[in-house]
Parts: sequence; C-alpha cells; structure tokens
Amino acid sequence: MTAPRPVAAPVAVAAPVRRSAPPTPGWWARAVGGVRRVLGVDHLGDRYTYVDDGRGPVSASRAVDTWVTTTCGYCSVGCGMRVGVREGRAVAVEGDPDHPVNRGRLCPKGLSEHHTLAAPGRLTTPVVHGTATGWDEALDAVVDGFRDLVDRHGPESVAVISTGQLVTEEFYALGKLVRLGMGLSHYDGNTTLCMASAVSGYKLSFGSDGPPGSYEDFDHADVVVLWGANIADNHPLLAPRLLDPRRKPTIVVVDPRVTKTAMLADVHLPVRPRGDIALLNGVLAELVRHELVDVAELRQRIDGLDALVDHLEGWSLERAAAESGIEADAIAALARLVVGADRCVLAWTMGVNHSVQGTHTVTLLNTLALLTGHIGKPGSAPMSITGQCNAMGTRETGFTASMPGYRAYDSAADRRELADLWGIDQDRLPTERGRAYPDILNAVLNGTVKGLWVIGTNPVVSFPNRGTLEAALERLDLLVVQDGFENPTTALADIVLPAAIWGEKEGTFTNSERRVSRVRAAVDPPGLARPDFDIFLDVARRWGGTDDLFAGWVGPEDAFEEWRGISAGRFCDYSGISYDRIDAAGGVQWPCPADRPDVPLGGTPRLYTEGAYRHPGGRARVLAVEPEAIRDAPNAAYPLLLNTGRTVEHWHTRTKTGRIPILEGLAPEAWVEVNPADAAGLGVRSGDLVRMSSTRGSVEGIRVRVTEIVRAGEVFVPFHWDQWCANRLTDDQFDPISREPNYKQCAVRIDR
Amino acid sequence: MAPTPVTLTTRPPGGIAPAGRAPLPAGPASARPELLPLEDGEQYRFGFDMGACIGCHSCEVACAEQNGLPEGTVWRRVGEIEGGRFPDARRWHLSMSCNQCLDPACLEGCPTNAYEKLSSGIVAHHADDCIGCQYCTWNCPYSVPVFQPDRRIVTKCDLCKPRLDVGRSPACVDACPTHAITVEKVVVADWRADPSAGDAPGLPSAAITMSTTRIALPDGLREASASASDWSLRPEHPHWPLIWLTLLSQVALGASAVAGTTTVRVVAAALAVAALAGAPAHLGRPVAAWKAMRNLRRSWLSREVLLLSAYTALAVGAVVVPALTIPAVGAGLAGVYASARLYVVPGRPSWDTPLTVVRFFATAFATGPLLAGHVAPALVAAGIGSAATAANWWRLSRSTDQAWWGSVRLELGWFRPWTVLRLALLAAALVAAVAGASPAVVLGVLLVAEAIGRWLFFVTVVPLNMPGSFWRGTAGSHR
Repeated sequence: MTAPRPVAAPVAVAAPVRRSAPPTPGWWARAVGGVRRVLGVDHLGDRYTYVDDGRGPVSASRAVDTWVTTTCGYCSVGCGMRVGVREGRAVAVEGDPDHPVNRGRLCPKGLSEHHTLAAPGRLTTPVVHGTATGWDEALDAVVDGFRDLVDRHGPESVAVISTGQLVTEEFYALGKLVRLGMGLSHYDGNTTLCMASAVSGYKLSFGSDGPPGSYEDFDHADVVVLWGANIADNHPLLAPRLLDPRRKPTIVVVDPRVTKTAMLADVHLPVRPRGDIALLNGVLAELVRHELVDVAELRQRIDGLDALVDHLEGWSLERAAAESGIEADAIAALARLVVGADRCVLAWTMGVNHSVQGTHTVTLLNTLALLTGHIGKPGSAPMSITGQCNAMGTRETGFTASMPGYRAYDSAADRRELADLWGIDQDRLPTERGRAYPDILNAVLNGTVKGLWVIGTNPVVSFPNRGTLEAALERLDLLVVQDGFENPTTALADIVLPAAIWGEKEGTFTNSERRVSRVRAAVDPPGLARPDFDIFLDVARRWGGTDDLFAGWVGPEDAFEEWRGISAGRFCDYSGISYDRIDAAGGVQWPCPADRPDVPLGGTPRLYTEGAYRHPGGRARVLAVEPEAIRDAPNAAYPLLLNTGRTVEHWHTRTKTGRIPILEGLAPEAWVEVNPADAAGLGVRSGDLVRMSSTRGSVEGIRVRVTEIVRAGEVFVPFHWDQWCANRLTDDQFDPISREPNYKQCAVRIDR
Repeated sequence: MAPTPVTLTTRPPGGIAPAGRAPLPAGPASARPELLPLEDGEQYRFGFDMGACIGCHSCEVACAEQNGLPEGTVWRRVGEIEGGRFPDARRWHLSMSCNQCLDPACLEGCPTNAYEKLSSGIVAHHADDCIGCQYCTWNCPYSVPVFQPDRRIVTKCDLCKPRLDVGRSPACVDACPTHAITVEKVVVADWRADPSAGDAPGLPSAAITMSTTRIALPDGLREASASASDWSLRPEHPHWPLIWLTLLSQVALGASAVAGTTTVRVVAAALAVAALAGAPAHLGRPVAAWKAMRNLRRSWLSREVLLLSAYTALAVGAVVVPALTIPAVGAGLAGVYASARLYVVPGRPSWDTPLTVVRFFATAFATGPLLAGHVAPALVAAGIGSAATAANWWRLSRSTDQAWWGSVRLELGWFRPWTVLRLALLAAALVAAVAGASPAVVLGVLLVAEAIGRWLFFVTVVPLNMPGSFWRGTAGSHR
C-alpha cells in the first residue's frame, strides 16, 4: 500500500551540454602549475568545499540544480531514486525517501549510479566492420545484412538475444519488431540465464507466470525462508525488511555456502549442492506423513496431489537427510516451522533457478506454499526475487516465452484476441515461441542461424562454457551488438550500435513485486548514442511493412499506452496504470485493471488472494520430482565442486560497475573461496594466485581466499569478471523446460 | 560503566519495517531525523551495531559522494573479521571512520596544530594549517587520517560537521540500509572511566586514545576471529626524505661530538645543513614548512624541527667559533632524541619502544666518530645498535598481533636479502677494523649498513589499524 504523494513536477532537462575537454594549457602555465603543485601552494580548498543545494551541505562537486525522479537500473528490487543534474551532467543520486520499496536507502551500486553516466568506454558512434559511421549507414547495413540472410536462408536464419534491462516500452516495441515486423523466428533474452526457471515453475504450478507476493510480505511474515537467495549481496535493500529488531521474523537460509545472508539467519541449512530437491521432498513428505496438512481439503483446488503423495512415500527423512546433507531433525523442524507459521514467505533466487532442475525445484517451492497455505495472503508467498531491473517487463510484454500479456503461442483464442487488438492478420502471429537462448547458439553452431542481433547483454562473459560460446559467435555471418559500453561482446561484433543507457532514456521498469515504476532521462546520451526505442523504430522503418505496427508512435509513452490496452483483461493487467498514476503512487503493482476503481492507488499487492489459480478450473498443480545427479561431478582429475555467484559491489559482467572507481576499489579482482582443509592439501594460502580448470577451460591467476564459509570440497567464484571468467569453467547444461543454464555445479581443479 | 546511548537519528516513522503486522502506515516516511542538543559534559560520536551490518558498503560510497572524495581516498571503511568452522563460520563487518577520540593522537602529534577538538567532540582538521607531513597518519591507531594526493594534505572524517551544524545526520548514517550506524551523544566522563564498549576483535583498544565509537558486538562473535586482510601484509612507504634527514643528522651529531678539527666541524655542519634542507621534501606542502614548530607543547615533531634547526645553526657557527661545539652537541643530542621520540607512537608498534631511541643514537655514534678516525667507539655503537634491533625483533615476535609480528616477518622474510646484506656489512666492518683498514673504509661500509637499516625501519613498520577487508588491508595513508 503506498502513500499518496504529489505528482512529480515535469523535469526540465537542461539543453544538451556535451562533455567537451577544456582548452589545453600552454607549457608555461603547465610549468607554473607543476611548481605550485609540488610546493603545495594550493590545497584545492575551493574544490573541496561544501554548498547547500537544498539537501544540506554537500561537496560542491555534487551540488545539484535539478532532481530527476527515476528507478534504479541495476537489480529488480526496483529502488526509487532521484538523479541530481547540474549543467547537463548527472552529479549525484539519492534514494527516494517516499518510495515504498526502499524508503530513501540505496545499495553501493545505486549510490554511485550517476557515475555510470560519465564513465569511460561508452559507445558513441555506430561502427560497421571496424569503421565509425553514421546511423544511416549502420542501420542500412543491419537491415540489408539481416534481410539478405532471411531472403537466402529464411526467417530461421536470423535471431535476436536481448536483455532484462531495457524499459518495458522498448521490450514491447522490440517484440513486435522482431516477431511481427521482421518476421524472425527466434527471439530470446538473457532473462533465460536468470529467472526463466521461475517463469516455467510458476506456469507449471499456477498456470501462469507472476510472482504472487510483495516485498511488504517480508514485513508481515513470521518466517522467511530464503532458498538459494543471498539477498545481502544481491538484493541488499530487501535485507532491512528482515532485520528490524522490533519485528524480526525467523529467518531460514538454505544455501551450500555461508553467505552474508546465511550469517543473518536464525537457521542456516547448508544443503549439499543440488540437494534442494531432496530437502524439499523430505519436508513435503514430513508434512504428508504426519498429516500436518489436510490433503483431502487441498484436493479441492490442487491437481496432482495423489501422485505427489505416492511419490513422497519413497522419501523417508533418512533418505532426504542422506541426499540433501541436512540432518533429519532439521528437515522435520523446517517442515513444522513452515506449516506452523501464520505467515511465511518462501523466497528464492539463483540458487534455485541456475540449475538443470531449476523449473522443478521452483514447482516444489510452490508446492510447499500451496500445501501449507502460504500464498495469497499478507506475509505469505512463494516469491521469486528477480535479477535484472526489468526482467519482469520483458516477461509480460515481450515476445519470448509467451506473447504479450502472457498469451500462449498455441492458444487460438489468445492469437485471435491479440490480432484483433492490433488490427492485423492472425497469420502474422507466430505459432510457437522459437528457440531459447542456448538453442539459438546451438543453431548458430550447426549453421542454421547465421545472423544474430545482441541487445544489452554481454554473452562472452555471461554465458556458460565460454569456449563454445565464442566458437558460436565466430561462426556467424553477421553479428550486430547494441549496447551502451564497449565490452568483450562488442569487440567481436561486425556492427556495433551505440545505445543510450539508464539515465538517458524514458520508460518504465517492473520490479520483482510487479511494481511498475518510472524511469527518466536525466542527461543526454553521449555522441551519436540513441535510446534503444529510437533504434528499434528506425530499424522498423528501414525494414518496411511495419507501419501498422507502430502507427503514430513517437515516444515510449505511445508504446506504453498501447500496451495498457493490450494487457487489459489479462492476468498482468496494466490498463489502469498510467505514467501519472505511477508518479502519484510511487509505483503501481499489476494487476491494475482500469475498470476496477477498488484497486488501491498503488495497485494489487498480491495474487491468488481468492484461492483461484490459473490452470483450467481455477486450479493449481503439484508435481512429483526426483533429483538428478550432477552431470559434471567432482572426480579424481577435477576434485572440487565449483559454485558461482555474485558480490554486492558488482553487477553482471561489470560493463558498468567495472568503470566506477569506488566499486572497483572495493572489489578489484575475482577470487576463489577455498576451505582451509582443501587449501592445506593444495598448499595454497590466501592471496596466492592459482590456475583453475575444468574439462572445458581454465582461468589463470585467480586469487585464493581461504575461508570457512565454503565447505571442504567446494569452491566459489564470483562470475562478474572477464579476466577471471568463471564461465570458462561452467558446464553448458540447461534445464530442459526453462532452458536456464546450470551455472552452480561443475567439477574443477586448482593448480598452483 | 558505559552510558546508555541516545540515538540521535530516529528510524523513519513506519520505517522500512513497520511495527506490528499492519500494512505500512500512510504518510511520507521521510520525516527529518531529530538532532538532540548536547548537554554539559557530552559530545557526539558514532555508534555501530555489528549485528545489523550486512556488509553492503553503502556507507563508504555515501561518504565518498558527500565529501567528493577522489579515487583512493577513503574516510569510512568496512572491515571484515571472520571466525568459526563451516557451517558455523561467520564473517562480521566493522564499518568505521573517525572515532572522535577524547585523547586524539592525531591532534597530540600534529606539528602545526591543524587539529582541533571541538566542544561538540568532533576532531576537526583545518586544511589551511596542514602541511602534509602525515605525522597524524602514524599516530592514529586506526589509520583514520589519510594523505589525499591531489590536495597534498591529510584529510579525514569530521562526523559530517557541516551536516550536523544544520541538524542532519552524517551521510553514512543516513545511507545505512539497516540503521547499523548511528550518531549518538556520550557523557565524556563516563566514557573516560570505561571505554570498553568501544572495543571489538581486531580493533586496537579504545583505551589508547579514548576512541568514542560505541560498537555493539553480536552474540557469538569469536575472539579468535581473524581480519580478512591479514594475508595482505605489505611494506610501507620508505619516506626517502626522512631516511635522509634522520641518517644525516645523526651522522652529523656523531661527528660534532668528537669534532677535534675544523675539517670535522665543517663536515658535521655540512651534513646537518644537508639533512635539514632535504626534510621539506617529505611534506605535501613544503611552502608551508614554516608552520611545523607551532606545537612545541605537545608534538615531538615540532620539537625535532626546532632542536635540529638549533643544532644546525650552532654546528655552522662552530665552524667559525669552535666553542659553539659544546652547545651544538647539546642541541644535537636533544634533536636526535626528539627525532627518535617522534617515532615512539602506539600507532606503530615496531617503533613504539625505547629501543628506537637507542637505535637512533647508535647510528649517530657508529658513524660520526669515524670521521675523526675513532674506530673503537664506532664499533661499540654499531654493536649496540645491532643488539637493539635484535631485541626489537624478539619483542615484536612474541605478540600474536600482526601489527607486531608482521614487522619481523617483513624484515626477515619479505626483505631477507637486505637484512642479510646489512648484517654482512656490519660483520665486514668489524673484520675490516680488526684487520686494520682505514677508518674511511669502515665508515663507508657502516654507512651503507645504517642506510639499509634505516630504510628497513620505515618499510617494515606495520601500522595499527582497524580490521581490513579482503581487498583492502591498510588505509593507504601514505603517498
């Protein structure tokens, strides 16, 4: 529930002031300056003074003329913030004190986010085959190149991989452009590397995607179970909700590693890697075996219970304990804690999703919520905490896992409705989703896909088994990369398109709790860089035959207004959400139907409050799941199990955070965490540089951190770095349903 | 008996997490914190709740942004201490900036009186008065003041005085997502009676300087916890101008003390002048070197400058008026004593011993007398100096604290070839002297040995500090 507040004033962005270098001083001035400097004549007191720009005294270098209200562009917590602008430059940020998500606080990445807007390494001009060009030449080359491939090899031959970090308006435009305008078959996003298993799991359990809960459920919960979720590092602004001593819930953390989050827990269950399913089966079996849940009553709205109950008979506490690595007593206690809680949030992130069994693990968490009744009421939800700022936006509006508005490719009714809304021929709509991200790359390797358009993501660093990925990219006839910054993927591109980044463009993000928030331009993009939205419309115009898709569109709000209509009546109903309402509420949670005045200003905090799910008949489903062994398990040659993850100072592949000195200073290199027992066996100490290898590749010169926070036999490496790229080691094995990679378990060795 | 802390900042009404299980209350959450005025005998200070800190580093970034700090200049740091065995391992984070001490060592030592203990308790640093000598960075047991290279002066946290002045909390306090950092009032007399609530594992005792930051330790914190930065033992800066100053002034004193001839007096005077002339090169702001004698009342550095200047003047005078040799030697003895004493600070354990004084005088008398051909006393002094060095190793190696044993490890490990060379040169000087080599040869060998020794003195010191993070061991307090 959000407090009403004044609509943000229209933002007056100063006229473009480009970052031109000051005139170079002459030799005499330089000499005098040097002498003055060495003698210490001037201690720069003028530069390091404080001025009051309306928020109290602050360094003059950070003094702000105009504040622009926006939403953070890193993770999907979706913190409200304001970007301070002076003379056309972003000089400061501050948390929005009235924002319902973060109440004025930010993490270190958010607090330094304005620096991304002046960071070095921006792409400022289109580049075609190594030559800087204008937009006309570049986009003609893109369109001609892709059209040539389509003409010669069909729409199967060109694919698009986008991101979870564009604004919703851009995702909506891109989906229409790729699948309807260009008629390409294969379009997916890096969201498949991130939360696809949550999407698939929600669909299997409830009949639809859509995280059922809200962050405020953390406030209300008696028990919070964080399953493979290291929020202290990865979603820091959720942590305060768990730590207020006045109403601290019982915190359970399930993680093979003693993460910062595990250290905050009342109960840490150091589950064996891939032991989640055994642990969940053990908990569910305990609930059924001791009749802690009323299966007969649950049957009224849940399918699949009988098969599940049968299956769970094979899951004694002893078996669950043996396979999960968690003691039988602790499993039984967890079952009782969850079922006994009035309100319980079951939240997860990549520890669950980044698995070959991610989808099925998600369904088991959903099953636990369904059986214990922890869904659809305050303080209770099975809650996927998303990774990217707007992964949710592409889930709802994009043309990847489903058609816009969670419409199914294979549903005649959905296709008819969508075609009618757009006023286009139904035959133009695709009938199947096309290949997922890893399958696009397989198609590149087998020669089916010859052209690839990569937008706002850096697969060279982020995709598992980097060697194979690089081989795939090198096979392409045409690789177009659209990004804000130079990165290892743009380095391989035939054509590079410079895009505006967060802070330079307008639109909306949708966060993990379905809250739609505004994103605003604070400054102009550098050089020739343009908002992705403009690039998409320009490509559409040049491709031709797309006038009916984007008729009358000028800016992102036109796309948003159309999307509101397209979403009307759908589960993810945005029809009641306008830019003005977002401003008034500080973010609005879908569903928010326009014709439902009873929906609060801030939207709908939680789903399934009436007990009606999205499978036919308003039912939910539960699945029986057996764990699979780790494919690339440790062996004599590669005796250690590698786990990968993140650290609070960096984001994804460091295209932004690696360019911000204060964040780099906090975590300048990757590292490998090694248990002291293994370190002794290897003869390594903290600070040593070692070589790590798997059967797929190796990482040279990575620094050892000997620590008890990892179990003996297991090692951990943060995945953010190009130089120490964990994905040279990881196994390119994928969940058969969601196609999400299995980043978290593979066999490695360490050599001095 | 520690006073009950009075939190100056209120949590936002309704807060991140509301009281009770009601929905978040309506109304803006951004009510301004309340600034409680100080009563007599109180000062402001930081409070830190280690159990609430999630190690996010937002405070560090907020501090750098508030103060516009350049890359590498860090006023607030988050250290890590780790203990326990898997799966009961724990890593605690300690966020710390200036502790606004009751007995600030930075202020005591500052030769220019650039520091001021304000009535609010804030230890303020006045940039205009700072000459960038960095003596405060040696004195502070927490390595709080840092040399800021672009300004060529030292800078530090002042509890966001500009913000406190207008009733706002420090930037770090406002930024902390979990309210782990607070600004509080403390009754000074109570804290002086018992500052133990300012102690934490891995942190130098609050009693050294009466550090005022109150640190609430979480349950289960293990005393055996280790700082995450322990692996990153690194040499300190050599401070070449200080090697120059101390070595040459000591050789000069040794010469003056045995000055029988004009030649020796000329050499002593020349060495003294050269020593003094090189010293300002150590300063960030040599142009303001004249301010260095402002704190004769408290600072051994101010006294060193005065006494060595007096010695130099007298030594020069003694060239013309030999009778001035006696007062010159008196001033020189006092100057070298002051010079040695300024290194005897708690913040630098390997220097914090009378042995430092012994070693400095030993250098003087192991070299200077050779200029007048006196071999035997020089060898005795060199032997005393070597014994003092060895005694210091013994003293330091008995401690379990890295700031102590780390110095020995650096000298005997990292710099082993140089340590061996130095000992070999001492032995060679002895052999040469016994074999009847000329005093000049012995002097040359001993000078090289002493120069290596002085260089090792500077580079092997391990400052006291707060616990570091894995990536950041020390504050980078030198240039």
